[in-house]
Amino acid sequence: MLLHPTPDLLSILRVTLELVFWATLLAMLIGLPIGLALGLGRFRTRRVWLGVANGGLGLPPVVVGLFVALILFRGGPLGGLHLIYTVRGMVLAQTILALPIVVALTASSVQAIDPSLLQQAGALGASRWRLSVFALREARTGVFVAAMAAMGASLSEVGAVVLVGGNLERETRTMAGAILTSLSGGYYAEGIALGIILLGLTFLLAAALTFIQHSSKAATASSVRYVSSAAR
Amino acid sequence: MSAVLSCRSVRARHTDAEVLHGVDLQLRRGEVVVVIGPNGAGKSTLMYAIAGLLPITQGSIERNGRAAAAMQSPSLAQRTALANVELAISWWEGRHRTPRADRRVRAMEALDAVNAAHLADRPARTLSGGEARRVHLARVLAVDPDILLLDEPFAGLDPSTRADLLYDAASAIRSDRRATLVVVHDRAEAWALGDRVLVMTNGRIEAEGSPREVFERPPTEEVAEFVGFTGALRDGDGILRLRPADVTVDPSGPIAARVVRRVPLEDGVRLELTTPSGTLVTVAPEPAPEIGASTNVRLTGGIRFARPAPVAGTPTGVLSGADRPQTGTAGRQQEADR
Repeated sequence: MLLHPTPDLLSILRVTLELVFWATLLAMLIGLPIGLALGLGRFRTRRVWLGVANGGLGLPPVVVGLFVALILFRGGPLGGLHLIYTVRGMVLAQTILALPIVVALTASSVQAIDPSLLQQAGALGASRWRLSVFALREARTGVFVAAMAAMGASLSEVGAVVLVGGNLERETRTMAGAILTSLSGGYYAEGIALGIILLGLTFLLAAALTFIQHSSKAATASSVRYVSSAAR
Repeated sequence: MSAVLSCRSVRARHTDAEVLHGVDLQLRRGEVVVVIGPNGAGKSTLMYAIAGLLPITQGSIERNGRAAAAMQSPSLAQRTALANVELAISWWEGRHRTPRADRRVRAMEALDAVNAAHLADRPARTLSGGEARRVHLARVLAVDPDILLLDEPFAGLDPSTRADLLYDAASAIRSDRRATLVVVHDRAEAWALGDRVLVMTNGRIEAEGSPREVFERPPTEEVAEFVGFTGALRDGDGILRLRPADVTVDPSGPIAARVVRRVPLEDGVRLELTTPSGTLVTVAPEPAPEIGASTNVRLTGGIRFARPAPVAGTPTGVLSGADRPQTGTAGRQQEADR
């Protein structure tokens, strides 16, 4: 199986990567501004929302999957969208699970920035938008960790995905769902092979993110070196 | 020249307490004004209010231009010194950004102005306290504001680093294009930097003038004590405030005194003395009297304030005519009615 990938395996890989990509992207797009607002903001209910985000880290995937499935079932409030047993429905469930991870980790990374640094930015006329971009950049290590954690959760999650996606062969079956199916059918060798692929995928994506993080740092440093020598 | 900044009866609160109790202040282009005062006097709060970082509760602040402040803590972003200065310029410029190459040239010029061009490539985390302070100063100079605000730019530096930076900053911050307000703690810094000195105590400006006027002829007893007139002798219905330099240990002097504290210094010994009229502080050369020893002193200066204030731990008594300062007092002695 590892040496000669079948169409089934390729479909599983495609669905898994699609789910990971969209769920992580959506969680980052929604979660980063919320995390920034919670990390930088000084509004009254900030602590309550931080508590909600931190509490969300422990959301049981099966419960989330159950609620999302109930909402998306044909008779449910969003049944008309026909998202049940689709990858888009799985993305929705997985985004809900990844969102608190992104929000909580972003907020805590932003809160860890020296407050006097942000105050100094304000004293030099930084607009709120620029201040937010700057804070994200200063907290970039934490933001990368948030992205990796969101990605990891999407990659290995099984409960919500199976409930919402139905684990349909060549349609909504992900790597984790396929492992579950293999083990429940007694196909242990297949399960182990899929597990190895999943592990490899996890490391590969984490390595890619780490590479992006380091190359952006190196690019900044080298451009500054070039310019400063040119200016002199 | 017209004022670039006018503060009128400014009141401001910090947390729950009112810190500024009606501050009036004007800054003109080309001048460097130093604010000095004890901890908690409201100096930094005034700066925050002028910078627009703290809302005022009463009064008005009129700015004829833009203000940029270098806060007390020299916090730098996780990038190189040059990139930090460039970042400050891009914050300042907002949407109307100049080309990146121009920003870099300006950033290098600002670093050069504070003798920090050699630090340009260094990551901020590798800078020493003094180096970070230089980059911090360059950052605010690079934006070339109309009103430059510096909050204790030399805080936390060792004496030699501080002296070096003070020397460089004294010329770097001066410009005909802008008004500069510097908060400092040290009188030597105020002497070195300021055209005008403001002394703040308890949220009010208590004294204003050239460094010489303020430090040699403080208008109130409180200001006098803050600017170094640490000795206090009852003098009739007033009080005579004296600096250590106004008091000389002289066995043939007219005032009997006893040494109660003795601190060795680099250039002598700091003596605290009690007399029947109050306490005195002086710096005497070695060999100086020991603790408990009786001696005599001569007064060579001081300022007389009309209303007496209680002098802790001293019995009532007055200076006789012979005890009063005999030399060098004409220019400094004054009656100050409060």
